[in-house]
Amino acid sequence: MLDFLSDSIVIGLTEHAPLILAAIGFALLYRLTGLINVAYSETITLGAYFGMWTNTTFDLNFYTVLLPAGLMAGLISVGTYFAIFRPAKKLNVGVLEMIIISFGLSIVLRHGLQFVFGYPVRFFEVPPPDTIRVLGVGVGSFRILAVASVALLSFLLYLFIQRSSFGLQIRALASDEDLAQASGIRPLFVTVLIWFIAGVAGGMAGAFYGVSSAVAPLLGWRQFLFIFLVVVVGGRKGLGGVIITGALTGIGLAAMTLQFGQVLYAQLALIVAFVVLLKWRSKRAIETAKV
Amino acid sequence: MNLDWLDAFLISGLFSVVVIVGLGLLLHLQLGLTRIANFGVVGFFGIGMYSFGVLFTKVDWPFGDLWAFLISLAFGTLVAGLSGLLVGWLIADLDEDGVLVGTLGFATAVFILATTEQDLTGGALGLGGLKFPYDVGTVKADEFLWLVIVSIVVALIFLYVWWVHRTPYGRLLIAIGGNEPLAKSLGKPAFRTKLWLFAVGSAGMGLIGALFGVMERFLAPENLGIDVTLAAMVALVLGGTARAWGAVIGGFLIIGFFDIIVQSYLPLPKEWYGQAIPNIKEIVFGALLIVVLLFRPLGILGDMRRDKLMRRVHG
Repeated sequence: MLDFLSDSIVIGLTEHAPLILAAIGFALLYRLTGLINVAYSETITLGAYFGMWTNTTFDLNFYTVLLPAGLMAGLISVGTYFAIFRPAKKLNVGVLEMIIISFGLSIVLRHGLQFVFGYPVRFFEVPPPDTIRVLGVGVGSFRILAVASVALLSFLLYLFIQRSSFGLQIRALASDEDLAQASGIRPLFVTVLIWFIAGVAGGMAGAFYGVSSAVAPLLGWRQFLFIFLVVVVGGRKGLGGVIITGALTGIGLAAMTLQFGQVLYAQLALIVAFVVLLKWRSKRAIETAKV
Repeated sequence: MNLDWLDAFLISGLFSVVVIVGLGLLLHLQLGLTRIANFGVVGFFGIGMYSFGVLFTKVDWPFGDLWAFLISLAFGTLVAGLSGLLVGWLIADLDEDGVLVGTLGFATAVFILATTEQDLTGGALGLGGLKFPYDVGTVKADEFLWLVIVSIVVALIFLYVWWVHRTPYGRLLIAIGGNEPLAKSLGKPAFRTKLWLFAVGSAGMGLIGALFGVMERFLAPENLGIDVTLAAMVALVLGGTARAWGAVIGGFLIIGFFDIIVQSYLPLPKEWYGQAIPNIKEIVFGALLIVVLLFRPLGILGDMRRDKLMRRVHG
């Protein structure tokens, strides 16, 4: 029993660390700009492709390509903001239409990647990672690095948003845009910053996903539902809630995969549990709102 | 029946147009009138398809093919309707994010079950053994007759949508879509209405899925991709989300363009049809969603002028 628990925790945290990283990025956009960006899944995929491309073309090792992959995804994320979401906001597009627009963008990017790179899946050219034993479970060094960068990045983000003056501006903008503007905050700069950070987080998550299996146009989309579930369920309590929910989701997925012997059943159970949780929470919210 | 004048590709192209128009019409009630973004169209479509297929092929039916067929069809529709009721109950009082999670989650769940339950569905290998409930000679004639039957079903769905536009029920849907708290404060049963809407819409999507499965003759999880939802949404958004004719116009224009004209009548190199064209099709679909919603949010048909009575009332 104790073995099962420690196995689940180690596998869950190391295998699903990119999920937490991606969820942090998505949550930044979702909580601070109010946008449900379906195309975020392609930010992740782009990170994986860009990492793979620099890795195989320039013969760089994985640690070196991680940062450019993140930066590139961040730039593209900012690009989509200027090309699509900023004009859409100026045209007063509704919340529902915004989701559908981001869905359209997601499809365009996904199939654009497929068009450029073709159907066959691609791989990073990296030596097999060293295996390190943690609590009796062998874990690849890339996964350890993923956990470490998730921890580092979330710590930095926390400091940045809660402690720095930019963070204060970001939070001010999220809570009341007009008031923030009136007090001299430049919304454009701050918004671009949010999109950039979110893109970097997504791109790095993509590189970690890509190096641990394969790079394919559907890489990000396969994770999107789970990222979104983590953010919707955990996001109410801020970034801390997202990180904790993401970690618990990873552990839960690992435990259920060990138990059922099939990852799909674990995912199914997770979807059902989270949607029921949302329903239950909405019922409570209505009751309190009645007062 | 002499069908030499009819191209086999034209039958399959028209069939996919009709199927997507049917899904788009049902989506119109949810997205266009009630403003619920159902991203799980393919889930309801798929659960109807698989429930029908599994019952039809796995049960040792004691009576003739036609009855077995009809009972399975009714079963597929019913299962889809009940799952619509369940999903509707889960998401009816959630925000846009909850609706997206719930419907997308349902579609993913159906895909997972179709893959894992190999004893029933054949898993990733697929489920064969489906056939038309009749035999009129050639395969082409069979398929043509099926196209006619499915077109009649979709025409009936269109009549239902047309009818909804002209009844108090339709105006209730529009009221809930426009301002739900207001509708509630006027005593309109928003929750119950959404439940009913989801149950009926999903049952219809399930029926279309089952009818689609018969034409495919072979059910595989790859039929359950997001592209089905995307196609229905593009047809509807292009034609006009607020109008009954929207999905029909949009479906014939865009699905017709790709699945009939590009597929059969454009002089394009053969090797393009394997990878390039399907990819370009999806890229165009996605780009259309963006462009139409940015610059003409109500699609080709535009504003919602429903009928003469409403025009007289509102001027």
